[in-house]
Amino acid sequence: MANEVYVLGGYQTDFARNWTKEKKHFAALMREGVQGALEETRIPAKDVQVGHVGNFAAELYCKQGHLGAFFVETDPAFSGLPTGRHEAACASGSIALLAALAEIEAGWYDLSCVVGIEQMKTVPASEGGDYLGTAAWYEQEAKGVEFPFPKLFGKLGDEYDKRYGLKDEYLAGISAVNYANAKLNPLAQTRTWYMNKEHACSRDDFNSAVGGRVRIADCSQVTDGTATVFLASRKYAEKFAKERGIKLENIPRIKGWGHHTSRLRFVDKVAESAGAEYVLPHVRSTITDAWRRAGIANVDGIDGIETHDCFTTSEYMAIDHFGITKPGESWKAVEEGWIEIDGKHPINPSGGLIGAGHPVGATGVRQLLDSYKQVTGTAGDYQVEGAKNFQTLNIGGSGTTSVSFVVGVG
Amino acid sequence: MTAKTRTRAQVNDLLGSRRIDHVVVIGANGAMGYGSGALFTTAVPRVTFLARSKDKADKGLEAAVNAVRSSTVRNRVDTGDYDKDFDQAVSKADLIFEAVTEDFDIKQKMFERIDKVRRPDSIVGTVTSGLSINALAAGRSESFRKHFMGLHFFNPPNVIVGTELIAGKDTDPKLLDFIEVYSEKKLGRVMIRTADTAGFAGNRVGFKVLNEAAQLAEEHGPVLVDRLVGPYTGRAMTPLATIDLVGWDIHRAIVDNIYKNAPDEVHSTLKLPAYMASLIEKGTLGTKSGGGFFKTENKVKLALDPKSGSYKPLTEIKLPDLGYISQVAKLHHDGRYKEAMKVFVEAPGEWADLARKVVAGYVSYAFHRVGEVTETIDGIDDIMGFGFNWAPPSVLVDTIGLKETVAMIEKSKLPVPKLLADALKSGKTDRFYKNPHGNIGRFFVAG
Repeated sequence: MANEVYVLGGYQTDFARNWTKEKKHFAALMREGVQGALEETRIPAKDVQVGHVGNFAAELYCKQGHLGAFFVETDPAFSGLPTGRHEAACASGSIALLAALAEIEAGWYDLSCVVGIEQMKTVPASEGGDYLGTAAWYEQEAKGVEFPFPKLFGKLGDEYDKRYGLKDEYLAGISAVNYANAKLNPLAQTRTWYMNKEHACSRDDFNSAVGGRVRIADCSQVTDGTATVFLASRKYAEKFAKERGIKLENIPRIKGWGHHTSRLRFVDKVAESAGAEYVLPHVRSTITDAWRRAGIANVDGIDGIETHDCFTTSEYMAIDHFGITKPGESWKAVEEGWIEIDGKHPINPSGGLIGAGHPVGATGVRQLLDSYKQVTGTAGDYQVEGAKNFQTLNIGGSGTTSVSFVVGVG
Repeated sequence: MTAKTRTRAQVNDLLGSRRIDHVVVIGANGAMGYGSGALFTTAVPRVTFLARSKDKADKGLEAAVNAVRSSTVRNRVDTGDYDKDFDQAVSKADLIFEAVTEDFDIKQKMFERIDKVRRPDSIVGTVTSGLSINALAAGRSESFRKHFMGLHFFNPPNVIVGTELIAGKDTDPKLLDFIEVYSEKKLGRVMIRTADTAGFAGNRVGFKVLNEAAQLAEEHGPVLVDRLVGPYTGRAMTPLATIDLVGWDIHRAIVDNIYKNAPDEVHSTLKLPAYMASLIEKGTLGTKSGGGFFKTENKVKLALDPKSGSYKPLTEIKLPDLGYISQVAKLHHDGRYKEAMKVFVEAPGEWADLARKVVAGYVSYAFHRVGEVTETIDGIDDIMGFGFNWAPPSVLVDTIGLKETVAMIEKSKLPVPKLLADALKSGKTDRFYKNPHGNIGRFFVAG
């Protein structure tokens, strides 16, 4: 049987920060993230046996590759450590987590540090939008297109509209919930921004369309940030618990995971699922695989979700793919308030990518860290009362690479 | 107790103890008025903008819409003037928020009018940046004084979250608790309770440093001073550029108030430099008058020569060798803040000495104010971090080191605060900075 994998906590930088304005290099962002995590968890640096870095496009945004080596730069104790960098567009952080998970399950290491990181405010918005286009099939879907991704996810909304009907007010409702939750999260990028349902529904220049039915309020943010977590074997987790006088069963475990990759172009995905219940069936499989591995029957065994809302349409898709409603009926969950923080299926209590921010390569790790906070009762004002099991869904590209983790105690 | 240490049940009890459904903003055409007004619309269904004329109030509303970039502000705001609409609006409001000109007599007259028509249970808040709350409340009815407080948002309120809450001697403590929690939870504020002392906490500590920089500029020139006390010492904006942005007249009002009403161990550093006083008389008010310490003419950046009152291009101003600043900035750039501050503390030469004197002076002054303007250093840390966007004094102590900080203060011939001396004696090793979410790195700008 595979070894169990524990989550020992970690650290997130304040996603409202602009590291270019602070005149900081990518190395500073990584250093603050890792040092913050060591301090927060009181894990001695010398205990870390391997470092994994999830990042999408530092080559473009920061003209810097070889990011595993930057992990070594964050602490003198790390010299000589095995490290590596993982990339799968917006799912990069989760791919790094999967690698760390697999190594611990295989018994290679007892303590792994996983850093998700992206510095994006180094370039103007249009240039950044073009870089993000490389998460699609650039030549065919993004080259010469202004802001390609909002347009691709606008098409996801159009596909829902075609198959089941979709009113934009429900997308605005999703946006409003994420922004409202972000106000409870002291590390959320938009916590001071002016936002409400009326604004998300407004149609003037302050909320202009950027990709078909996708408007500014439907978009996640351009964010500088990093999230770091420690994954550990049972052996290390026992030592960690003993030293801190806590019970092993109160330390969260990664109970299950799912991982699938679809065809890259959005048109090919949609063509493949024509006539099917789920618009993105491989995403659905990612979610159900994670349940199966965790021994959970369905979404009723999950107390809350941190999902990929790069746009409101992606969260709209997630709602029925998680089985919160029947396929095509995600609007019900919005209208009934099920996805709100005190609803029966809270989604993104952190504020998600729309509210908390979306430093691309950091997002998967940030979702896992927020899930850790929820199941340990340490999420502060955005705590879902009594949460024991949380699930993440992290998506790269237009629904291309999808990864999900179930994190829980007990 | 602050909202940070209250349980969720206590917070909910307090939030449920009152309703704020209607706010009246008086002076809604000014930046603090419309900025605060826009902020209130995030939580309050109806906000009335009042100004001397309806036209001015309407302009305030448009400024509010543009400040937060949302036309939905209009759905919650109505506007009016002090003649026709004042009595009716104020008599119905749950919260009356006064943001008129920072002038004692004008404010007091406004409170007299409010006192005549307000509901006996309505809250009255003033956004003064340092006038005495007790003095402003003098002569008002008992019910007014019980419901009156300073609610000092910083400009612009939709961006800067640090907010001071100042009680008068008759203010109802339960009401203060309510406003504190309401502001934190509904308006996203970081609340700092301060005593009713001149300049409260933020301006007292902040303008001491700004004024000291202005004093030093007389001898050394503004370019060198802003370089010495620049971003690398833990601030986004340099001190003299800050005074230009704030306005020289506002700077004068704040430091004069502190100098007159709060003499302390470094009284002379709060005295407005004579050259500033005379230039203010000639119309030099900073950015809003076209220039202050700095200005741009025909795309050429110019700096003031305080001695002559004339301006010189920045390119013609020669600075001494400040190589240590580049070293510090490079270390900040790579996220090595402790190593950076070690270079700062150990840098040789008179210029490094001068920079350390200002930084040590800031830390010393801030810790000396504990017990006078706030109960603990946490309040001063929060207002400096979340109001001024400066490295809070505790962050500097933690980053530089306690022993090294005390040595720096002693070497600068400044008084060592008892709090730091005692901590050093007792061998304290835990951090001074208590805010769990404050990324200390953000304060050290690599410039």
